Parts: sequence; structure tokens; C-alpha cells
Amino acid sequence: MFKLWASIKKEFYLLLSDKVGLVLMFVMPLLLVFVITIIQDSAFKLVNENKISIIIVNQDNGNQGEKLVELLEGSGLFEIEEDNNIPSEKVKDELLNRDKLIALYISSDFSLKLNEKAGQISSLMMEDLGLKETSEDNKDIKLPSLTFYHDPVLQENYCYSLINIFYSFLDAVENSLMIEKFYLEMGFEKVPEKLKEKIISNKVNIIQIPATSSGSDVLPNSTQHNVPAWTIFAMFFMVVSLGNNIVKERINGSFIRLKTMPTNFFLILVSKMIIYLIVAILQVALIFSVGVFLFPFINLPQLVLPSNIVAFGTVVLICGLSAVSYALMIGSIAKTQEQANGFGAVSIIIFAALGGIWVPVFVMPEYMQFISNFSPLHWCLEGFYVLFLKGGYWAELYKIILPLFIFIVCCQLITYLKLRVEKII
Amino acid sequence: MISQACIQINNLTKRYFASKEDSLKQVSLNINAGEKFGILGPNGAGKTTLISILCGIIQSTGGSVKYFEQGKEVSLKTFRKKTGFVPQEYAFYQELTPNQNLEYFGALYNLSKKEINSRTEKLLSLLGLSKVSDKKVQTFSGGMKRRINLAIGIIHKPTILFLDEPTVGVDVQSKNAIIGFLNELNKEGTTIIYTSHHISEAEEFCNYIALLDHGKLIACDSLTNLLNLHESSGLKSLFINLTGEDYRDNV
Repeated sequence: MFKLWASIKKEFYLLLSDKVGLVLMFVMPLLLVFVITIIQDSAFKLVNENKISIIIVNQDNGNQGEKLVELLEGSGLFEIEEDNNIPSEKVKDELLNRDKLIALYISSDFSLKLNEKAGQISSLMMEDLGLKETSEDNKDIKLPSLTFYHDPVLQENYCYSLINIFYSFLDAVENSLMIEKFYLEMGFEKVPEKLKEKIISNKVNIIQIPATSSGSDVLPNSTQHNVPAWTIFAMFFMVVSLGNNIVKERINGSFIRLKTMPTNFFLILVSKMIIYLIVAILQVALIFSVGVFLFPFINLPQLVLPSNIVAFGTVVLICGLSAVSYALMIGSIAKTQEQANGFGAVSIIIFAALGGIWVPVFVMPEYMQFISNFSPLHWCLEGFYVLFLKGGYWAELYKIILPLFIFIVCCQLITYLKLRVEKII
Repeated sequence: MISQACIQINNLTKRYFASKEDSLKQVSLNINAGEKFGILGPNGAGKTTLISILCGIIQSTGGSVKYFEQGKEVSLKTFRKKTGFVPQEYAFYQELTPNQNLEYFGALYNLSKKEINSRTEKLLSLLGLSKVSDKKVQTFSGGMKRRINLAIGIIHKPTILFLDEPTVGVDVQSKNAIIGFLNELNKEGTTIIYTSHHISEAEEFCNYIALLDHGKLIACDSLTNLLNLHESSGLKSLFINLTGEDYRDNV
């Protein structure tokens, strides 16, 4: 037991002396978690929480343009700055100068053309109903155009969403106008207010429910993705420190001395695994603490810890063991420290990209989603998703633990065989 | 008094993987307890290969090595408990202090914490390293590192000590300190098996010499007998006579 204790102490001292390794394992992931979460959260808020800043230039000579602006204002989606003195050729410049995301230009003939079109449709309806004589005047009246300007940083799908919002409000304006024309044709003076309101507010309600098997209403946010994702990345990045540690021992003669001593080499490997597993647990404790305690102070969503603590511990342990086993394997295969550093770091970055650490797997093409199954980081992240979003149900966790267990066994087996070939074990 | 053999080597042969030639060719010799046994030879003669097989680091491809303790044959596993090894490389952790290194290796030799502490204090004092016992080894000079390498090899008081080029790359002061210390160990009963390129150092230190060349044992006897037998004035001239003056460049 004293041998194991001395071995663990030695590994601890070696770890303390590896300043670069410590920075890579603790400081780098903290920075990544902060930076990426802040960036993603602002994008998330831009789309989901903040009002969209818009300049509206209403040059309409009638009142339909004004109606559209009122509807947009009433939606609560936009922060509107109306400036009707901007000429059409200057709208683009003003959008950029005033730091707005979008601008809407309503042309002077907007009401005129809408009225003409609505009049034509209501006349056709009257004719169809036999309430009016058929007219020969069936000329095609073009609908007016709105001009939509946007900041080039806005994603295309986001722009389409905004255009669809405008279409939705334009529909309300057009419908209201058509009913008005129809009523006038019928001989009424005006449309009842009640009906006007109904036309505007007549929308089918869509209920939004997150599909969690536990029934939890916790929605994934930037914190719940980034905190576990970059913690897993940090865990696997221990390949630089541990891989280096093993290569150094193999090439500096320490292993040769150990071969002449009455000791089992497994003891050395076990002590390394224990120390680096503790490192992995500390990484989780540190990064998750930042998510829980520090994020709310910098206006980021607080990390809500999973309720199933046993499942949480299991996922942390299995992820830690996967990272340690991978680092052991790289350390035993690499011939030089440069190889361990280079291959180890690059492989983790590729695994991270494939595994959905940077971009969620579901947005990847189908073949990439298949390839992501070969990244251990993908399974680790899935494990945390099960904890955070699906209540940490064991039935779901087993599906994650099994592939990670196979990964651990493979890495340990390769390590054993490599050291055996080198006659170290 | 007749010395007892502690290592008996019979027809030992070693060929490395993918090599066309044997690195050791049918080497047979005995090493007796209490000797200061020098294994000498030019570059590529097979010195490190022989010492590595004796320590159990690599395995031979032919022949046998028998180990004895007080006249009784023992296994390599048992023998290892009584042996110490000081390799050519700095086989320790440069990021740790001498104290931390000795604590770790002492524990692997099954020493208790108390034994480790007392041995560490004594060894560091004898080797002139007490003042730097808590400083990281990576800041030490080559000579200091060699002395740490030696201290680790003898922390458990081995009865047989293997040394592979223990004084390579050190200054005269460190070399004298190391050789003086090894003489003291030998006086206390430790058998020393030693390889070196320094012929004058070997002549001064060893009482028994095995001379290897091209993997073959070309001479093996006490230093006095060897010099008398070959009518040589010193080990250096004997060495040149037996191995020639050609370069031994291995590619």
C-alpha cells in the first residue's frame, strides 16, 4: 500500500511541476467556457429574447403603411425607429450607421396599390356571388413591394424568418382591407370594429413543449451545452499532460530502472490513472462551479445541476476514465513527446468537432452524424445531455455507458499490448 | 578464502530484432561475490547488452544466466530484491527533488518510510547533496545528477550493484567522489559490476576485468593476471593490443 501511496505522491509532484499541462487542463477550458458561452448566449438572446432593432422608413401616401407599422409595434418583436425622411438610396447606409440589424422601406404607393388590389378582389367576389354585374375590366394589378434591408452578419434562415413575420402582418393588413372593400361594395359604411380586431388577432395558437422523457421543462441553453461540452474537452485534453508524462518516463530511463526493481508496472499505471481521474473530477467541480455560481453574475444563464446525483457521478467517472484511458494509450504508442503532444491534441480537436462539442451533432449532415458515433466525446456529451435534459434516467444512460465502456477496454488493451511488446510489462 | 559465484553466465547469446549479427556471442564467465568486476570494450562491443541481460531488462536469445545467493541458486525475481542498477541515462524524475526521488524509489524497493528517511539523509550527505535535497534535480549539474542516479540505485543497500558508465560526462571532482563512494560500498561487501569507457578509471577501480569486442569475450581474469599474462604495462596498452586501433563506428 505504501508503494501505491508513494507512486501517487510522485505522480502528484510531477503533475504540479507540469505548468503547461495544468494551464491546458484548468485555465484553457475555463476561458473556453466563458468565451463560447458568452458568444453563443448573445446569439441565443438575439434570436430568442431581445427585440430586433429595425429602422422603418414609411413613405406611404396612404394609411396602410401606418397600419403595418402599428401591427409591427404591437407584436413586441421589434424595437422600431421610424424615420420617414430617409431617401430609399440612403437606407442601407443609415442601417449601418445607426447600428441596426434590419430596415424596412415602405414605398409611397403602398396604400394605393393595396387598395386597388383589394378593390379588385372584392369586386370579383361580388360578381361571383351575383351581387354585381360582371365587369370587363380584369387588368392585373401588381401588389406593392416592401424593401427589406439587413445586416450581412444575419444568417439567411434568420432573414427568412423575419420576412415571414412581415408576410404574416401584411396578410392581416390585406385581409382587413379586403373585408373593408367588400363591406363598402355591399353598401355598408364601415367594417365593425369587432370584426377588424378578430381579423388581426385570428391566429392558431402553437404550444411549445420540450420533448424530455422526464417531463422536465428545462430547455437546453448555451450554459447547459457549453459547460459540460468544454469540461469534456478539458478532460480529454489531459492527453497532452499524461501522454507526455508516460513518453518521458519511457524515454528517460525511469522505465528501465523500474524493470530492474521488484515492482509491478501496473502499480505505476494505476497511480497515474488515480491522479488523472482526480484531475478530471476537479475539472468538473471547477467548471461546473463557475456555471452555477459565477455565470449569473455576468448575466449568463445559471447552470442547473442534474437531480440524479448518482447518475451524475457515474457519468463524470466514466467520462474521466475514458479520457485517462485514451491518454494512456497515446502515451504508450507515441515514440516522442512531440508525437504525443501533436497527435494527442489534434486528435482531441477532431474528436471534439465530430462529437458535437462545437456544433451540435443534429445540425450535421447525416453521414457526419454517423461518424460522430466514433468520437468518445460525443458519447460523453450525450451522457451529460441525458443528465440535464432527460432527468438522468438509467435506461437512457446505459445506452451511453456501454459504448464508453467498450472504448475504455479497447484503449487499456492497446496500452497493455504496446507495453507488453516493449517488454515493459 | 574462496569467493562464491553470485552470477554464472554460460554461452550467452543475444541477437536484436531485425539484426543480422549477434550482439553477444557465446559469452561465458563467472562473477564472484565481493568483486569489483569491470566489463570493458570499445563501442558496440556488447557491454550494455550484457549488463542489461544480467539485470533482467532484456532477454537473451541463447545460453543461460544463473543467480546465486550464499551459494544457493535463486530466481531473477528473488535476485532483483538484492540488486541495484545505475543505468547510463538519468533514470529518475528531474522535475522532483532528490528527497522525492529517493522516497519514491525507496518505496518501490519495499523500504519503510523510516528506513527511506534515514538512508536518504545518509546517502545525500555522503554524496555531498544534502544542501540541495529539496531542490528540483533539473537545476543540477551533470555531476550532481550522476550522484543522484547512484544514490537511487543503492537506496535499498543492494548486495550486488550494476553500474553502466556511472561517470560518463562528469568532472574530475564528481568522478573521484563517485569512485571513492563505490570503493567504500565494496569494502562493506557490495559486489560491483561496472562498465566504462574510461580505461584508467577501470584500472584504478576494478580488481577483475572482462574484455568484450564484437560481442565476444576476449579476455577475463583478475587485473593482475591479465597484465602478467599479456605482458602489458597497463590496461590501456592491453586494451589496444587486444582490440586494435580501428574505429568502431556502428550505423
